[in-house]
Amino acid sequence: MRCLTHTLLRRLSCLSTQCVPGRWSQIFSPKRSSLRQRCSARPGVVTATSVVNYWQKVFETNGIPEARESSEYIVSFVLGAKTFQSLSSKSLRTPLTAAQQEQIQQLSNKRLERVPVQYVLGEWDFRDLTLKMRPPVFIPRPETEDLVSLVVEEESLMYEKNSGLCFPVSAPHPVILEIGCGSGAIALSLLHKLPQSQVIAMDKEEAAVDLTRENQLLRWGPVDFIVSNPPYVFHEDMASLDAEILRYEDLDALDGGDDGMTVIKTILALAPSLLKDSGSVFLEVDPRHPNMVKDWLQAHSDLLLVLCAVHKDFCGKPRFLHIQKQSR
Amino acid sequence: MRLLSRALRAAQGGWAAALLHPSRRAAPDRGSAAGTCLLLLRCGLSARPGLQELLAGPALRRLLEARGAGGVGPELAARVQRLRDKEQELRETRELARQDESEDLQKLAEKEIAACEEEIAELKQQIVLLLIPSEETDESDLVMEVTAGVGGQEAMLFTSEIFDMYQRYAAYKKWKFEILEYFPSEIGGLRHAVASIAGLEAYKYMKFEGGVHRVQRVPKTEKQGRIHTSTTTVAILPQPTQMKLQINPKDLRIETKRATGAGGQHVNTTDSAVRIVHIPTGIVSECQQERSQIRNKEKAMQMLSAKLYNAKLEEETKKRNSVRKIQIGTKGRSEKIRTYNFPQDRITDHRISRSVHHIECFMLGEEKLDEMIQTLRENADYESLMEIISENEKKNLS
Repeated sequence: MRCLTHTLLRRLSCLSTQCVPGRWSQIFSPKRSSLRQRCSARPGVVTATSVVNYWQKVFETNGIPEARESSEYIVSFVLGAKTFQSLSSKSLRTPLTAAQQEQIQQLSNKRLERVPVQYVLGEWDFRDLTLKMRPPVFIPRPETEDLVSLVVEEESLMYEKNSGLCFPVSAPHPVILEIGCGSGAIALSLLHKLPQSQVIAMDKEEAAVDLTRENQLLRWGPVDFIVSNPPYVFHEDMASLDAEILRYEDLDALDGGDDGMTVIKTILALAPSLLKDSGSVFLEVDPRHPNMVKDWLQAHSDLLLVLCAVHKDFCGKPRFLHIQKQSR
Repeated sequence: MRLLSRALRAAQGGWAAALLHPSRRAAPDRGSAAGTCLLLLRCGLSARPGLQELLAGPALRRLLEARGAGGVGPELAARVQRLRDKEQELRETRELARQDESEDLQKLAEKEIAACEEEIAELKQQIVLLLIPSEETDESDLVMEVTAGVGGQEAMLFTSEIFDMYQRYAAYKKWKFEILEYFPSEIGGLRHAVASIAGLEAYKYMKFEGGVHRVQRVPKTEKQGRIHTSTTTVAILPQPTQMKLQINPKDLRIETKRATGAGGQHVNTTDSAVRIVHIPTGIVSECQQERSQIRNKEKAMQMLSAKLYNAKLEEETKKRNSVRKIQIGTKGRSEKIRTYNFPQDRITDHRISRSVHHIECFMLGEEKLDEMIQTLRENADYESLMEIISENEKKNLS
């Protein structure tokens, strides 16, 4: 078992290396600032609202997506708030200091280079947590917040089943493995929601070098849940992604190969050896994947994995897979 | 009805007396809130001996009998039992004292009788308090909505001040205060805002703040120094638990900016605003306070469920036709409850015709506001108690 897990980990750590780094950056090299246009009018009285309006115009003129939102987030951040809507009426009427204006200018200049807002601010919120964001680590998307809810629900369901017994086994501490943790959004949110759980978070970069973690995993043994938001973008879709993504995010975190399933298949192939009996895999996928995964699992029935539920995201797209290991 | 208004007047007199003796309020064996309440009753009743008789005499017994038939709570039953025991003890001690002529024993008996009588009076008051019905929603958390009324920019400035006052009051009471919606005006006022307030007995206190608050002052925007009158409306909606209000997810339409396109890893957008429509009622709530979309959704759901629950409660109150003066819920919402008169530095609550001074201090949302709310609570308790007793007496007469 030890040996097996060892091999598994090595295979996991080699996941998704087929994407050639640098390829995209050649095609989508950042346009130099010579192209940038500036709005000539600077506001007279500098309030939060006037600064937001000013930079919105600058962003619009330069074709920056989400011009209004970007400007609002940057100004609010500098004023110590998370969103423009959460600024108090007092901070709206207080004129901005020179230092604040300078900081807004600096951050906005980054945004003009199509740096994602989350990297510009150096932080973003995922569920209840504010997480540091640094390029090129993948920025968690809002859909993934629901992936965490699914795991939490499943865990409480298992707990309920258990507590219904006359002589319940003492509440087990679930062991959860997250594959491809990026900024740690999923793993940390799970720890926050399930403080009694043990979460092992791994990423190919770290896992490849960090032998200590392998040893920790060995000590934990098989896990209750595997959760992953693996790279699932079909390779042919990669070229059409926005500049914010292509220029600044780690494309290995997105490119799922020709069918978007390279990493998904690897995880599923290894899952039976990593999971306890009746353990579950929760995956975020492309809306085309649920049927493809179902077919693939049927063709690989020896894995004893069953797709037991497909959950929709908040836009109604089939986005999350709940796959369970059959007990023998 | 006349009995009721007289009782209310007596209660107000009682409160004034209570304030003069702050030391008596801190009775060691009861919580401070209950303590003031008891004292209010005591003073109120002593101001009207007729009412005291009502409680000391057969009226209370008749009420307890009526209640006893319907089954009483264990706390009340225990106190009634203790009251019976004490009354028995009192009779026995009196009998003993009458028979024995020893001076020492007489003195001892006198002491015992006095102690007994005191405890009996105390027990009766506790019983009376337990008879006051608590509202279904009293233990709830709540959602507070403030909206600028008549008076343009000045009303919005005042709305912002009122909102801040309650935010500080929540901090003073150690409640959790979370802003769900916030629509400021250009010059630093507030058009509309919603906050959730959670904590020990939050609704029990805050429910008295719902209604129209009126301000009279010279606005900052006024050049000729004229006094304007403006208003702001405060609505206090109890937050239902999942047990009390079930919402079918199929009845909801959740709208976000990411609805079009591939979504997921394919895009990286930052607009996390969420709008929820409850299709059967058309009630809408939205939130863009947070960067996390799921948090915005949670907050919008919180507002939506409070709105739905309130609509349900309003429906129920419509059926009950209460005559109470301190109204909570829809009836109270359009009612002018309080005036903040700045030139005279005076705040008047119209429901209990009570005025206090030092507006600035009041709007800090600390002791002064708390005292006002306590007074309102006690008056409301007193009203409902009088309602119960007089109803029971009416039944007995007929």
